[in-house]
Amino acid sequence: MVILKVEHLNKAFGGLVATCDVSYEMQTGELSAIIGPNGAGKSTFFNLLTGYHRADSGRVLFQGQDISNWPPHRISRLGIARAFQVSNIYLALTTYENVRQAILAQQKRTLNFFTPAHRLAKKETAELLEVAGLSQHAYMIAGNLSQGDKKRLELAIALGSKPELLFLDEPTAGMSGEETHETMGLVKRLNQEMSLTILFTEHDMSVVFGYAKRLTVLHQGAIIAEGSPEEVRSNETAQKIYLGEEA
Amino acid sequence: MLRYWWLGLIFIALLFLPLVIGEFWVHVAIEILILGLFAVSFNMIFGYMGQLSFGHAAYFGVGAYATGLLLVKTSVPLPVALAVSMVTAGLFALVIGYFCVRMTGIYFAILTMAFGQMLYYIIFQWYSFTGGDDGLQGIVPPAWLMSAWAYYYFTLFIVVAAMIVMWFISESPFGYTMRSIRENADRTRFIGINVRKYMLINFVVAGMFAGLAGGLLGPFNRSIAPDLCNWHQSGVPVFMTVIGGPLGFFGPMIGSVIYTFLFAFVTGFTEYWPLTIGLVIVFVVLFMPGGVLGLAQSKFKTLGARDSMAETQGSMDTET
Repeated sequence: MVILKVEHLNKAFGGLVATCDVSYEMQTGELSAIIGPNGAGKSTFFNLLTGYHRADSGRVLFQGQDISNWPPHRISRLGIARAFQVSNIYLALTTYENVRQAILAQQKRTLNFFTPAHRLAKKETAELLEVAGLSQHAYMIAGNLSQGDKKRLELAIALGSKPELLFLDEPTAGMSGEETHETMGLVKRLNQEMSLTILFTEHDMSVVFGYAKRLTVLHQGAIIAEGSPEEVRSNETAQKIYLGEEA
Repeated sequence: MLRYWWLGLIFIALLFLPLVIGEFWVHVAIEILILGLFAVSFNMIFGYMGQLSFGHAAYFGVGAYATGLLLVKTSVPLPVALAVSMVTAGLFALVIGYFCVRMTGIYFAILTMAFGQMLYYIIFQWYSFTGGDDGLQGIVPPAWLMSAWAYYYFTLFIVVAAMIVMWFISESPFGYTMRSIRENADRTRFIGINVRKYMLINFVVAGMFAGLAGGLLGPFNRSIAPDLCNWHQSGVPVFMTVIGGPLGFFGPMIGSVIYTFLFAFVTGFTEYWPLTIGLVIVFVVLFMPGGVLGLAQSKFKTLGARDSMAETQGSMDTET
């Protein structure tokens, strides 16, 4: 079943074309990656899909519903969550409160004025912290977490929205080798065990090839190659533009 | 609840306070309570939502005029008039807030101030209805509240009730949503929250409590003047909150105690009140940026980590 369908998406910032006639499709249950050099338009693509930016033209369909240019909170409520490239968390709140906030929003309890928040969503929050491997830091102020833990926390926040489709913008940026594989292992488990459809961007080639089943290469805002990791590896254009630069 | 035993002590002390101080200081205490409520309501926007409202006196003034006009021109009982003050201030906040929450930062501050000044000039000019420049005289409280002591207990009851409600709001999921908007509005949008709508709701609730505080003022002073809505008056909760500390629920109330007490004390023997408060503010900003409460909490923490990790959860400490 098609969960996400993107049709001829365009976006320019002044004279800079950030997304150029991108059409893309995802099946439910996929774990795929978008790769491309810095400035290829990966983050802009995510920003267009999640309502952070408005597209100049084109359409985005989620489960057949046209969500083009919807505001972020409506897209989120529909079942699309995201984590940003630079971890985007609540720095002055505790790890626990960060995650609880996402869960309370998902449970539509944020208009509750009179129940103390610390009595709500206890079980769900603890479970999610466990999944993300953050239980031991639950009462730490999020701003004091390590870089890797901050990224994991944002992943937990995104999961708190109980999404069906998850966008991760460079989920392992700033992590050590070991942390990277732990996190990607978690992403893989989420995909397999919770049947979450996940699309992530990455520039670390080993990460991409190890986990994603399908790769899409973005260059100057346009898709220039697509296929299994092996196909992309042997694609000449992709090699020239991306793999050549990195290898 | 045992952690809040000291609040019970303070409340009991406040019950006995008028028995040991003279009438002048009872008046000061009433003013501390009213302005403290005003400042705590202001801090719902400033401390919790992270936006500086520089026109909060508008709702304070609307509340004062609503109760004042009702008491002067009709025979509505005071509690009903106070409820009308809350609703009216809330309605004004709804209309003004609708535009203001589109902005953040300095633009939010300027816009709230501009609307506040607009309201001030309307009240100032509209002689036939508001009494204009002359203000409203003869706002007489009901007979059972004529003495300063009676009015003190009445005010104490209302302010404590309002503070309890605001405390629950600050600890509720809505209160935490305000913190999340303050910390990171983008992240909050992406967990499915309509940030503008929530900001507007908070703006209205804060306006309502400011209106309640304003309503209490008229029968206390027996008169009100349009200056209540002026931007000087909007500065009062800002000063109080900065002095007391914006990151704790009680900060603005502590600020009101210091500010109002100091005002009563200093103006007793010098006319240089603005200079005095200016020096206090400079001192606080330079040497204790978290206000009195921030200083107290940091001292408290270094003295001994009394709070276990689990206890901190869901309490105000997490914000400092």
